[in-house]
Amino acid sequence: MLPALNPAHPFTVQSTARRLTGVIALLAILAAIALPWADLAMVQSEPWPELKRLATGLLLPYWDEPTILLESLGQTLAFALLAVTLSAPLGMVLALVFHCRVVRWFCAAVRSVHELFWGLLLMQVFGLSATTGLLAILIPYTGVFAKVFAETLALQDKTPARSISLKPGFTSQLALWSYTRIPQALPALLSYTRYRFECALRSSAILGFIGLPTLGFHLETAFKQGLYGQAGALLWAFLILIGTLRYWLQPRLIPVYLIAAVWLLPETIGFSNSGYLWQFVSRDIWPTPLLNGDLAGTVNWASRMWQEQAWPGLVQTVLLTQLALFLTLVITLVVYPMASKVVAGRLNARIGHFLLLVMRSTPEMMLAFVFMLLFGPSGLPAVLALAIHNSGLIGYLVARNSDADQRHRLDDPAGIARYAYLETPRQLPSLLAWLFYRWEVMLRESAIMGVLGITTLGFYIDSAFEEIRYDRAFFLILVTVALTVVVDGCSRWLRNKAGVESAGG
Amino acid sequence: MSANHQPAFQLTNASLSYGQAQVLQHIHLTIHDGEKVALLGPSGAGKSSLLNLLYQQRADRCALCPQDNGLVDILSAYHNIFMGGLDRHSTPASLWNLVRPLKRARTAIEAIATQLGLGTELWKSVDRLSGGQRQRVALGRALFRKKDIFLGDEPVSALDPIQAETLMQHVLSQHATAVVCLHSPVLALALFDRVVVMKAGSIELDQPTRQLTLADLNSNYITDVPADRTALVLPEKSSVVSSPEACVTGKIQR
Amino acid sequence: MNFIQRMFAATLMAVVAASVQADTFVFTAIPDQDETRLQQRFGKVADYLSKELGVEVKYIPVKSYAAAITAFRNNQVQLAWFGGLSGVQARRLVPGSEALAQGKEDQFFKTYLIAHHSANVDAAKSLADIADQLKGKTFTFGSKGSTSGRLMPEFYLREQFKAAPADVFSRVGFSGDHSRTIAQVQSGAWQLGAVNYSVWDTQLAEGKIDTDKVKVIWTTPTYPDYQWTVRGDVDQRFGNGFKDRIRKALLGMSDKELLASFPRESFVPASNQDYAPIKDTAKAIGLID
Repeated sequence: MLPALNPAHPFTVQSTARRLTGVIALLAILAAIALPWADLAMVQSEPWPELKRLATGLLLPYWDEPTILLESLGQTLAFALLAVTLSAPLGMVLALVFHCRVVRWFCAAVRSVHELFWGLLLMQVFGLSATTGLLAILIPYTGVFAKVFAETLALQDKTPARSISLKPGFTSQLALWSYTRIPQALPALLSYTRYRFECALRSSAILGFIGLPTLGFHLETAFKQGLYGQAGALLWAFLILIGTLRYWLQPRLIPVYLIAAVWLLPETIGFSNSGYLWQFVSRDIWPTPLLNGDLAGTVNWASRMWQEQAWPGLVQTVLLTQLALFLTLVITLVVYPMASKVVAGRLNARIGHFLLLVMRSTPEMMLAFVFMLLFGPSGLPAVLALAIHNSGLIGYLVARNSDADQRHRLDDPAGIARYAYLETPRQLPSLLAWLFYRWEVMLRESAIMGVLGITTLGFYIDSAFEEIRYDRAFFLILVTVALTVVVDGCSRWLRNKAGVESAGG
Repeated sequence: MSANHQPAFQLTNASLSYGQAQVLQHIHLTIHDGEKVALLGPSGAGKSSLLNLLYQQRADRCALCPQDNGLVDILSAYHNIFMGGLDRHSTPASLWNLVRPLKRARTAIEAIATQLGLGTELWKSVDRLSGGQRQRVALGRALFRKKDIFLGDEPVSALDPIQAETLMQHVLSQHATAVVCLHSPVLALALFDRVVVMKAGSIELDQPTRQLTLADLNSNYITDVPADRTALVLPEKSSVVSSPEACVTGKIQR
Repeated sequence: MNFIQRMFAATLMAVVAASVQADTFVFTAIPDQDETRLQQRFGKVADYLSKELGVEVKYIPVKSYAAAITAFRNNQVQLAWFGGLSGVQARRLVPGSEALAQGKEDQFFKTYLIAHHSANVDAAKSLADIADQLKGKTFTFGSKGSTSGRLMPEFYLREQFKAAPADVFSRVGFSGDHSRTIAQVQSGAWQLGAVNYSVWDTQLAEGKIDTDKVKVIWTTPTYPDYQWTVRGDVDQRFGNGFKDRIRKALLGMSDKELLASFPRESFVPASNQDYAPIKDTAKAIGLID
């Protein structure tokens, strides 16, 4: 999507398309800079017997215990539904005070920690329980909701609010917004909440990887033990659950679902020691020298952590993320038209939508595994897995937007011309906005890359949890938070620069 | 163009409804090649629907200029105009044109832009243009289709009366046949051979221009105030009401 | 708002449920192979223990050694079937806890180093003989917290090369699981790998391994691995002598079906002291301070 230069004034940017292409070019340049430093080696391997088993399993799924399948599906749903129902209103409240810097930082901090790491942290305090699962989704999602809601509200027309004058203060601000921006933004807020629920289903499933009784629990076991038929059955069940979302997620049924969800929450077995919280907060997460009041030792500890783990992890994380970010953009531009009715036609769009569903709902861990079999361990499977997952997500949002667009005229072009001249230019601003939102998400998701021998920040955090070294985990999480805050700032700056301001993602 | 006895459009007892709402009822209309027809009538009378019906009859011969001009915001005026000629260019050429303007298309479009008074704005994206400039771009897109029939839906409503007349005249001179919805009876009488007035989905009046006066149109059929600009800023509701007084009220409220 | 109130009630319930003291004896176990149907298989072990101990016994499935250690530490479970390393870590965190029993096989556990045929590494009795062939290859461990998949092989590699694995091999990864280590070395994605001997032997017997593609190149000396560890405070909570009764119940487990879940032939007595070598090794390679 390169717009032409103005032949008369090649250096004055008067075209929005040109400005957006400038941003895209910037992303391309960053990716090109990352390319030689990133570890993208490929090895010649013999993946076909394993891939054949995998494909057979996915195509011929089997599962002989329907109760377990239903139970884990139900609990996946229960966590997601309860977490979103609680975090959306909480996010709304925070959105109203989002102009306050402390709130913004707090939200950036809570959402920069991956759900899995929240799960691992909370498990120290609440054990393996429903509370852990619920909070592991609820906490980061509140941060995300706050940010997106605040930005959506900020996009609303300000005229209605201007005509009302009120005393300053939080309550009158709330009253003012309840009458102006919130109702104005309501359709957008609801549609975002709905989309976020789909994300929560994924998060909930993935929490099974650390032991909660959701789909991921059995999926991870089946997959890592090569029981691809079972993995296939679970994956299909999950895809069907998400694919049929719009049929069963009826507003009037939500109260029923909520009651069912509370009832479905897994029983907590044997957990009693909640007094452990204080020890965790006051001792476990701080390095020993600091607890002993040894300042020099602390500095020494921190500088070693920085040199050995934080800095190399940071570099790898940023390199992979930049490459994945640009590749996501490219793949999105290729796949979204396949799911857009106006470009691909109604029937093809169904197939396209299914493709996007598979892309965005297959856990990255599985994608990375397949690519590793194909290309060997390196950053390449990581970049591909991240890019495919994220472009599946953004492609879905773009296709949905494109089909909802009412600006049709009878003589609009069709096919590729329509794609290049109409749909892509119209959707590009929101596409880029979503891409920038996913930027920080990709940072978090690079945590999965430990299996590939790529030492991202997430790899070190995971190692620290595995070695029961919460002081290290906490330090590295703080570094991740700082990185997220920086990336969030860059993304905000770029979005302003590009003039794209569509909330979501 | 083609022989006069072969009508360009022919509607016989045509009706159209969206769900419950009857948009067009029992329309009989024949338009011959070479005719320049102005469509008048209040908003909601069914003018746009009629125009769409006509377009579907002769899509291959028509250049369309719809009311919400359907431009692509972030692309330049040049590319929006080029879109009118997409069917004359191969796909690779069209795609390359997004990277570098094609030489011949550029020459042709620059000429069109100059005639429309868009010369200096050609490389700006249309989201940076005023309402009037966007209408010119939409007209440009229709002109670049290079068809012999022009179907316009209020194509000059955002321009001041003098510019509106000049541009309308230019567009009519480039097409053998034209059917154009208008708000302004003045413009209709000045530039068209035939006036069709619509009301509530039916044709109220269909006469050659030379048999009509401005007074006829104003007193009997036209509800919007003559100057297009004023009509544009009136709230949508008040332009549907049927007495001239109501329009005056609308004006005062503004 | 009705709806939001209900939600608060739901959370409250969840929190309350989490803090209710249930006098149920809880244990966890992650077997070194076949992690499917944990609940059913170990549910039977729970029934057995319940019968032997005369209290209600429940089983919680966990996903990782870290999760097992966490549950053990916050007293969510009182008894756990740990790997060698995770047992050492858990006993460090919960003073007074002790190793009660180990599998018969766990007294002489070992790790295989395996290689893809394209790596051109010969099988050898001594690691020193093939040291030069190993250098610069790619190498995957199993799970980060595994004794057989990570700790012991890393120890012997460090001993041989006097360097960290990352400096010996061109790339070092963690497949996360023994089965995956085998699958990935067999496919050639990794050239070398370290794998639990019993997982390898089982899969070989089941015909899942293509020995033209992947073979064992070296076997570590033996070391102690999986064991049952119990918290020190169980006697206070469940009555004097409870710990001894658990030990008796474990050692007396003879039902083949129950033992197959672990999978072990039988259980034999074990003590914290048996795991001193593991502790020293973990310290030597910097996994514990």
